[in-house]
Amino acid sequence: MAFLKKFVLFLPIIITIFLFGILVSYLLSDRDANKPPSALLNKNIPNFSTVNLFDENKKLFKKDIEDKVTLINFFASWCIPCKQEHPLLEDLQKKFPNLIIVGFNHKDSKKDAIKFLEENGNPYTFIGIDDGSIGLEFGVFGLPETFMTDKNGKIIFKHIGPLDKKTIKTNILPYLNL
Amino acid sequence: MKILISLIIILLSLSLFAEKSNHQTFIELTKNLRCMTCQNQSIHESDAEFSLVIKKIVKDKLKQGESKEDIEDFLVQRYGEYILFEPMFNYKNLFLWVSPFFILILSGFILFINLKRNR
Repeated sequence: MAFLKKFVLFLPIIITIFLFGILVSYLLSDRDANKPPSALLNKNIPNFSTVNLFDENKKLFKKDIEDKVTLINFFASWCIPCKQEHPLLEDLQKKFPNLIIVGFNHKDSKKDAIKFLEENGNPYTFIGIDDGSIGLEFGVFGLPETFMTDKNGKIIFKHIGPLDKKTIKTNILPYLNL
Repeated sequence: MKILISLIIILLSLSLFAEKSNHQTFIELTKNLRCMTCQNQSIHESDAEFSLVIKKIVKDKLKQGESKEDIEDFLVQRYGEYILFEPMFNYKNLFLWVSPFFILILSGFILFINLKRNR
């Protein structure tokens, strides 16, 4: 009974420490308000169908990539950070020629997109035109955005903003057991 | 003829009422949606491209007769709960929703015990 009384007396302090601990753990965690976690992480690739930027007779569907490790990159010619990450995608393509890199040219003009690729190189296995509807299905809200999918058709990684060497080394290379 | 005119008036009023109610839901909904590309602005307040796209989606879906909850679910499935200013009531947020009431009840209980002891 005496123990219970003491416990009740110290309960507010215990609760305060507990709540403070939760607050501190949130503050110290590696969270960035500008980079919210993707709602699609560990979920299936959303349904999509797209036509090739260079040849409208060539099409790509979800079923074409859902059994392959694929890097999906949303880009546009008007997006400056896309230009920044482009050489890294080219490096990846050179080092891993078997890796499928799907580029979605997001809300761009065909002419500008082709010019962008002529000037900066084309690391993509397939470039699909996205009028915004594919981006919506992938929850894209800013360019560039990159997704990694596994052989089970699940999204295993998402990166908002331009890729950098550290992100590629830590989050993309470990999945490339091609 | 009179019946026809009355019917037209009723139909017009009904469509105006539906439009007004849709507009209210639109405002309510967009005020609770976060503009993901802005600094702490709602979709309602923002004119950023992302907000304009979401506004169009919400408008179209309301026109198609979808409910507020359906539209919120559609957006949360794609952009995550982060797009909502008011967190959803689910098991992940249970602590967030329940803890204030829990602390209030517990504090009341401790206060009651202490007051009783002091008497």
